[in-house]
Amino acid sequence: MTDAARVGLDGVRVAYGETTALADVSLEVEPGEFFTLVGPSGCGKTTTLRLLGGFESPTAGVVRIDGRDVSGVPPEERGVGVVFQHYALFPHMTVSENVGYGLRFADPPGGVTTDERVSELLSLVGLPEAGERDPTTLSGGQRQRVALARALAPGPQLLLLDEPLSALDAQLRERLRRTVRRIQRELGITTVYVTHDQAEALAVSDRLAVVNDGRIEQVGTPRTVYRRPATRFVAEFVGDNNLFEGEVVATDGTAGVGQEVAADRDSAATVAVGETTLTVATDRPRGASVTFCVRPEALDPAVDRNRLDVTVTETEFLGETSRVRGEWRDQLITLRTTEPPAVGETVSVGFDPDAVHVVSE
Amino acid sequence: MTSRRRRFVAWIGRVVARVRQAGESARRLGEHPERLALPALAATSAALLLVVFYYPVATVFVDAVTVDGEVSFAPIAGVISDSFYVGWLAEAGVPSVSELPSLGRFGFTAWQAALSTVASVALGLPGAWVLARFEFRGRQTLRSLTILPFILPSMLVVVGFYAAFGADGTLNGVLGAVGLPQVDLLPSLSAVVIAHAFYNAPLVTRVVTAAYERVDAGAVETARALGASRRRAFWDVVVPQLLPAVLVGATLTFVFTFASFPIVLALGGTRLATVEVLLFSAIRQLEYGEAAALAVVETGISLVLTAAYLRYERRSQTERSAVRPLSRRELVPSAWRERATWTARRLGSRLAIVGYGAIVIGVFLGPLVSVVYESLVVDGQLTTTAYEFLVDRQRTGASFQVKPWPAVRNSIGFGVATLLVALPAGVAMSVVTTGDSRWSRLVDLLSVAPFAVSGIVVGLGLLRGLVFGVVVFGYRVTVTGPVAITAAHAVGAYPFVVRNVAPALGALDDQLVESARSLGASRLRALVDIELPLIWPGVLAGAAFAFAVSVGEFDATVVLAEGGGTYTMPVAVERYVGRRLGPATAMGTVLLFVTAASFVVLDRVGGGGIGGFGGGNDGGGDRS
Repeated sequence: MTDAARVGLDGVRVAYGETTALADVSLEVEPGEFFTLVGPSGCGKTTTLRLLGGFESPTAGVVRIDGRDVSGVPPEERGVGVVFQHYALFPHMTVSENVGYGLRFADPPGGVTTDERVSELLSLVGLPEAGERDPTTLSGGQRQRVALARALAPGPQLLLLDEPLSALDAQLRERLRRTVRRIQRELGITTVYVTHDQAEALAVSDRLAVVNDGRIEQVGTPRTVYRRPATRFVAEFVGDNNLFEGEVVATDGTAGVGQEVAADRDSAATVAVGETTLTVATDRPRGASVTFCVRPEALDPAVDRNRLDVTVTETEFLGETSRVRGEWRDQLITLRTTEPPAVGETVSVGFDPDAVHVVSE
Repeated sequence: MTSRRRRFVAWIGRVVARVRQAGESARRLGEHPERLALPALAATSAALLLVVFYYPVATVFVDAVTVDGEVSFAPIAGVISDSFYVGWLAEAGVPSVSELPSLGRFGFTAWQAALSTVASVALGLPGAWVLARFEFRGRQTLRSLTILPFILPSMLVVVGFYAAFGADGTLNGVLGAVGLPQVDLLPSLSAVVIAHAFYNAPLVTRVVTAAYERVDAGAVETARALGASRRRAFWDVVVPQLLPAVLVGATLTFVFTFASFPIVLALGGTRLATVEVLLFSAIRQLEYGEAAALAVVETGISLVLTAAYLRYERRSQTERSAVRPLSRRELVPSAWRERATWTARRLGSRLAIVGYGAIVIGVFLGPLVSVVYESLVVDGQLTTTAYEFLVDRQRTGASFQVKPWPAVRNSIGFGVATLLVALPAGVAMSVVTTGDSRWSRLVDLLSVAPFAVSGIVVGLGLLRGLVFGVVVFGYRVTVTGPVAITAAHAVGAYPFVVRNVAPALGALDDQLVESARSLGASRLRALVDIELPLIWPGVLAGAAFAFAVSVGEFDATVVLAEGGGTYTMPVAVERYVGRRLGPATAMGTVLLFVTAASFVVLDRVGGGGIGGFGGGNDGGGDRS
């Protein structure tokens, strides 16, 4: 197995005539990392992946694989394995021929024969018996596993996965996701994964980049991105969130509502939101306008600060919990609860000033 | 100032990076020469097209605007101010109402094309209705047969019409046998129009059937549920979806019949000469200036019409295939014995279909069957004299006479040579351009251009340019007749290859090639390993088309084979026509069998759609 590659994009721009697919994107992916590009459709995440695969060239900027500028290097010389959403298995070849195709151009890694390498890979993806089958007779999940085996067979230094699970049903998707992650860990291969599903991105990645409108909004671990979204877009795109906009009317001790602030914490501010005020942990100066978010799970009936009276408009039963949507002063609020109220009922919840994350605009 | 300097330094940096990048790419290409193979093949094809199509046509254009080496618009002005060509347009004042204005030759050419278009649409539309709306045995075969006009040599149609409707033809034989008076249909404008309808009605049928099959049953049912009557739903929902296809068929028919040559030449007689026929006789009389001027004006008109065709074609292509096509009714209801099944409506439509079927058999089958019949039957007696004549001519004919065997041999030779040139060229062009929308537009246009320029014009250009010789860097370059003929055939055949291969390639998932390449295959290797195995029916169909187009080509061949020994079967047929029916029909029968063999290959490998000609994207071609 070739050593895992370090991957980098420096100031990459991709434009097709008037339209800009990527605007000045810079990224670093560490060797052996499982890195995810997540964002809505048309945001540029697939373009980024195709740059790495050599299927597109940047209008400006540099793409590096293992420190080497790969502009002008055709796909066949990049040592990159690719798995596409719709499998792209060669329909006129058997499963074994598909998996072995890349070994026509390179010796199998580890000094084994092509046949040995093919059966090794088929076992790895859990299809040891499928070699002689016609790929069109396989189920979607099986096809995707063959596609993965095929991409891995020549021992690439980088694996690119372009929405590989999107065409599968939910249960299968979750199972295959774990398979992909297990194999990736075993092989220690640098992997760039593209998905539009933020939950999937949070679940599998070492780190992820949230892409929007051709730009990277935030790069970080799933935990950081979830807890401390860098932009309003990230706050709204990753998980459910409640966003508030207001103006700082008082800071720290001047809060004036008689609420004490612990010295070791962030300084607190009173923020005017509409006709009321909320207390928020921030060091923004007086007069500054702020946007902050509170996750649904932080809105708690037991917390007596920052009380919101929410009129319930709909509830969704999710199993363990329910998602409750309602209105507070003409603003949409999302809650999580184990015991959902009835539609039309008013529930009172509060949140801790520290549960707030202020989004930089 | 400093910011300007900084920008300048940055610019220099970018230039250096670009140059370094280009150097790097060039070095890599040097290491992998096979990576150059595809672009080189495509470039060669483009160069070939340039040399054997655009250059010759350009020479004709230059001839049209020069007199003794001086630029002059006199030749063109001569044509467009001559009342012989343009009729009342060239005369002073407004034509009086009492007498019919003279149309001139251009006017007449357009008039016969318009009549032919109306006849083709009238004959073709019911066919689309029957093929799209009824289920019966042989429907698929009939649908495949609508491809025939693309590969049926026009000389065969000519000889078929002579055999069926000529003075000694089958029709007069039948009339005579039942004691009716003889009819003399040839030569006449009606014969020309009917022959054109024979040729182009299947094209209309083909395009409109495809559009009809794209109509979604859900849309019609929704209209009915909203209160539309059956007739109203047809007019409001079905007709608007068929109209673009009808326009595609009609414009294409008009383009073809405007520049139609052998049919008008042989069935129209001298009185009904169109521009194309006059162009040919100008070449025969060595009046190249006038020929060139005529060619320019004619090509100009054809190009405008072809542009219109491309517009309609694009519009009809935007329609998606139906989610659920309209269901087909049984042509013969299974309970046909029960009287209750025969409502007035059902009976009416079935009677109409029977009547239409009779016309179809008369117009389409009549001439082709007559070719074989007349070659074997003389005065009601089965005889092989016609074929004996061919054998005899082969043995004892003088060197200046047209012999049958060289015609067959030349036809097959040119067919194979055309195939060898047009197939790789077409495949390479398809690969290089598929996927890139800007390029594919351009190639679409370039590949349709040979349709808009008549074979006579291409032949004239080749003759004046390459055959007579061109001086390049002090050397006189000439090509011989066979090379020029192959070149002309390849130009006519190449669009058919592109139109079969490019859509098949375009329909393949791009990610198949991308997967192969990420696994280490070069672009050429991915073509050989992945794409060609998956699209081989399209490639084979393209090959059969190329062969058939070459075998049937008449216009350019007759110009280039003048006086030489390079005549082909259609040229031989034309030489034999006019004496007795026998020799021409015997030669025609041989041609018919070669063409039928090509069709069988096309039908077998092309599956249902036959390449790019199944949908609204029917091309056309130099089908002479």
